[in-house]
Amino acid sequence: MELMKKTAAELSAMLERKEVSAVELAKAAFARTAEVDGKVGAYLTVAEDPALAAAEAVDRRRAAGETLPPLAGVPVAVKDNICTEGTLTTCASKMLYNFVPPYNATVIEKLTENGAVVTGKVNMDEFAMGSSCENSAMKVTHNPHGLDRVPGGSSGGSAAVVAAGEVPLSLGSDTGGSIRQPASFCGVVGLKPTYGAVSRYGLIAFASSLDQIGPFARTVEDAAMLMDAIVGHDPLHDSTSAKAPFEGSLRANLNADMKGVRIGLPKEYFGAGISDEVRASVLAAADTYKALGAEVFEISLPLVEYALPIYYILSSAEASSNLARFDGVKYGYRAEGCEELLDIYVKSRSQGFGQEVQRRIMLGTYVLSSGYYDAYYKKARAAQRKIRAEFAAAFETCDVILTPVAPTTAYEIGSRTTNPLEMYAGDICTVSINIAGLPAMVQPCGFDGNRLPIGMQLIGPRFGEQKLMNAGLAYEQASGLKNIIAAL
Amino acid sequence: MAITRQEIEHIAVLARLDSTGGIFDRLAEDMQGIVGMVDKLQELQLDDLNDVIDTERKNAFHEDEPVQHFTPDRLIAPNAPTFEAGGVSVPRVVE
Amino acid sequence: MKYEAVIGLEVHAELSTKSKIYCSCSAKFGAGINTHTCPVCTGMPGALPVLNRQVVHYAAKMGLATGCTINQLCKADRKNYFYPDLPKAYQISQFDVPICENGEVWFYVNGEKKCCRLERIHFEEDAGKLLHEEIDGTVVDFNRCGVPLIEMVTRPDLRSSAEAKEFLETIKTTLSYLDICDCKMEEGSIRCDINVSIRPEGSEELGTRVEMKNVNTFSGAVRAIDYEIKRQIDLVEAGGTVQQETRRWDDVKMKNTVMRTKEDAQDYRYFPDPDLIAVEIDDAWLEKIRSEIPELPVSRYERYRNEYGMTAMEARQLSDSFAKATMLDEAAASGKVKPKAAANWILSDVSKYLNDTEKELEATALTSEKLVDLICLIDSGTISGNAGKKVLVQLFETDESAEQIVERLGLKQVSDEGAILSIVQDVLAKNEKAVADFKAGKNVTGFLVGQCMKASKGQGNPQVINKLLAAELQKL
Repeated sequence: MELMKKTAAELSAMLERKEVSAVELAKAAFARTAEVDGKVGAYLTVAEDPALAAAEAVDRRRAAGETLPPLAGVPVAVKDNICTEGTLTTCASKMLYNFVPPYNATVIEKLTENGAVVTGKVNMDEFAMGSSCENSAMKVTHNPHGLDRVPGGSSGGSAAVVAAGEVPLSLGSDTGGSIRQPASFCGVVGLKPTYGAVSRYGLIAFASSLDQIGPFARTVEDAAMLMDAIVGHDPLHDSTSAKAPFEGSLRANLNADMKGVRIGLPKEYFGAGISDEVRASVLAAADTYKALGAEVFEISLPLVEYALPIYYILSSAEASSNLARFDGVKYGYRAEGCEELLDIYVKSRSQGFGQEVQRRIMLGTYVLSSGYYDAYYKKARAAQRKIRAEFAAAFETCDVILTPVAPTTAYEIGSRTTNPLEMYAGDICTVSINIAGLPAMVQPCGFDGNRLPIGMQLIGPRFGEQKLMNAGLAYEQASGLKNIIAAL
Repeated sequence: MAITRQEIEHIAVLARLDSTGGIFDRLAEDMQGIVGMVDKLQELQLDDLNDVIDTERKNAFHEDEPVQHFTPDRLIAPNAPTFEAGGVSVPRVVE
Repeated sequence: MKYEAVIGLEVHAELSTKSKIYCSCSAKFGAGINTHTCPVCTGMPGALPVLNRQVVHYAAKMGLATGCTINQLCKADRKNYFYPDLPKAYQISQFDVPICENGEVWFYVNGEKKCCRLERIHFEEDAGKLLHEEIDGTVVDFNRCGVPLIEMVTRPDLRSSAEAKEFLETIKTTLSYLDICDCKMEEGSIRCDINVSIRPEGSEELGTRVEMKNVNTFSGAVRAIDYEIKRQIDLVEAGGTVQQETRRWDDVKMKNTVMRTKEDAQDYRYFPDPDLIAVEIDDAWLEKIRSEIPELPVSRYERYRNEYGMTAMEARQLSDSFAKATMLDEAAASGKVKPKAAANWILSDVSKYLNDTEKELEATALTSEKLVDLICLIDSGTISGNAGKKVLVQLFETDESAEQIVERLGLKQVSDEGAILSIVQDVLAKNEKAVADFKAGKNVTGFLVGQCMKASKGQGNPQVINKLLAAELQKL
């Protein structure tokens, strides 16, 4: 159990020094899961056998004298929308309740190359649509810091499993805040990389132009370590992937010196709607940066006002098309007793998709349909260009931008399930970053009156991941807010 | 732009979702609200509405060399709801 | 009232790339069911497309060959609809910015030169195949999913089935000249949808058009167009009006039936495919493509007519085949033979051999150099025309030169007068009866020439034999 309290970097060093074996670590991870996951509910599939086989292989290689990558032998949990060959990948949907991918996502191949031990698949909002994990068709995931609270979403399982100390690292995906908001709710570090930095091949698409896979960890260094393993141009499989200038060297280049670093605080992100506790906590972090020698000043990003409509139009439009392939014909759920093709389509989709997914498909179909395309989709694309330009201009004067992540801390399970608009409003601080294709990192910056974590968001320019990591490390060192494991 | 019940039903047909029954009533109601939310975009004045091609990145290609890694037994059969005569099967399709 | 038909075509041609358009599966026709598939072309969750560079190259090549403007910056769009042969439930195609626009195709109909404008050419992926034979239901074969296609859309410039047929033939020969499509009609390599409307003769307005699908052969296109024109005229004459609809052609029953009406028109919800990025053809690439385009069939046809004085039929036969036309042009360019002589060989003996053996010219060992050598050997009297035919057969099948074959088969013609004179004298001495007949006024020349050829083992130059035999007979 004590092993799972350690950071990935510490475990990596222990493995390297042969103080612990990969098999021991994997077993420790599964033991912790057996102990706490009944309460947390992070895992959908615990992949014990393949994990132990992978761990044994790592141990054999190390025993044979091979020099292995830092991640070799470190347990990593994976969001259930990332394809794992031979292991169930459901997107937490009835639609894919039985889907076993015939291939691995590029990130899984990269984890394997790096010797990481994939422990299993974790819960999420169905098809990554949601902000609380409550849209999972499979189970309820609880926030380890308050079991009556949501872990956030959509990567709620990825955040909770790390916060609960079941694994030191996990992968999630972020389309509009799906890594950052749960990281904030669960008091862990989460990075949404620059669009294109990590291959999307094998990530079951929600909105192709916004989706990115990224790491969860309990320290900035650990997040850098996992990011170093998964980053990389994937020309054979993902046309939208790009060569990141920092490829594989984030951890090695960590530098906590904040002197002269310019940090912008966009006033629109601190306005009405943001709870006082969250605002105060993030502004206190800004003061910490000042004390560390950074230049901190207010900036303006007025278009954030339109970010939600732009985001919901673009992401739903793409989702309506991306999710059309789930038609009951080739894989996944097929409704019983269909005598005609049209029945297979309509019944399988209406029974297989949950309410939120159907809402997004409906909205997306509407904004692309004849007569409405120009007013919605086309206009949203034009507005997207404006938002990009607005951020680009901001980064002429700042190195990083600091904002809250979500208006509140984790709320009670079931408290926001009646009105979808209320849920969407919680995405206000995160969606612009996906619209602009930028990297953003979230880490804990305090706790509210209920001892629930508060997160802050650092936003960087395109491929500015190193700047984020450096700023995150500086704050982590100054605040001591790192490697927080929920008391369970 | 308010969306009518009839339009919502048409959208459901396009999306191959069931447009009948009690669940759809709830969906239709939610749609009204969501469309109202995204309509905020109409307030935004933009000078250039043309859909331009994003040129930030260009030309990702594969070369014209065939490779075959999969067999239908491994690729298609394991997940197919029904698999007959070498492929997924559906009720007879007549055009 | 007299009516004029207005016809537009949408022609789909499968490109002859080795791999598919968005994945690296083989694009080869005829493989076992679902054996040319991968996560990408079967629409597996999470799989992503990457464009085949060659598809862009080939599509632009067709665009340049038909005088299109090439959009050097273009993109791919999704066309959304549900059908079991479309595993992603969208086809990756091109919508508002096709790779090529505004072209022209020139062709001859009954000796008259016509032009049909092309609105656009775009690239897209083919769908799979639905099989109904094996089971009660339908089985989906994804092999064809993702085979690259170009779609060529014409303006409504065609006025008859004959024009449509010539247009299609020209598209086919152009594709084959460019070597970008194998043009195997029986494998569905070229297919077309046909738009037909009618209007009173002299009217400039366009009538309501009907789209016809499922036309798989050019002769089928002719039948489908003729049928539809008559159907529309009969309908209007009977007081009816043509409905905007899509009809399905049945080439067995020789009629069409309604597939869908205007009311159930599809809403494809096109939008840019977010899984793909912009395609840019820079100037260097465009020039490279341009440099690969040979002189096209219509231009060669005109040259053969005008410069070589060929008949329409001859010029057409040669220009229809890139390999034959190129052989002719190379032979002519050698300067060693008369173009017409080379053309005659290609049109007669070469074509006959190819027909009899069902071979493609490119698949034989015959080259233009070999053909030129052969003609030179005949022109110089080294071998006879008949021997030339024998040599040609060998030229198709072996790597030997014409000279080597002549040598090996011993076909060299003897033109040496001294040698032939002794043969002639010998023949006259041995054929007393013929000589007697000659003296009696009978015509025995043919017989005696034959005897001389026989005595020379077929190698005697017939002209020399004729000349010397006549002289010897005179002396009698």
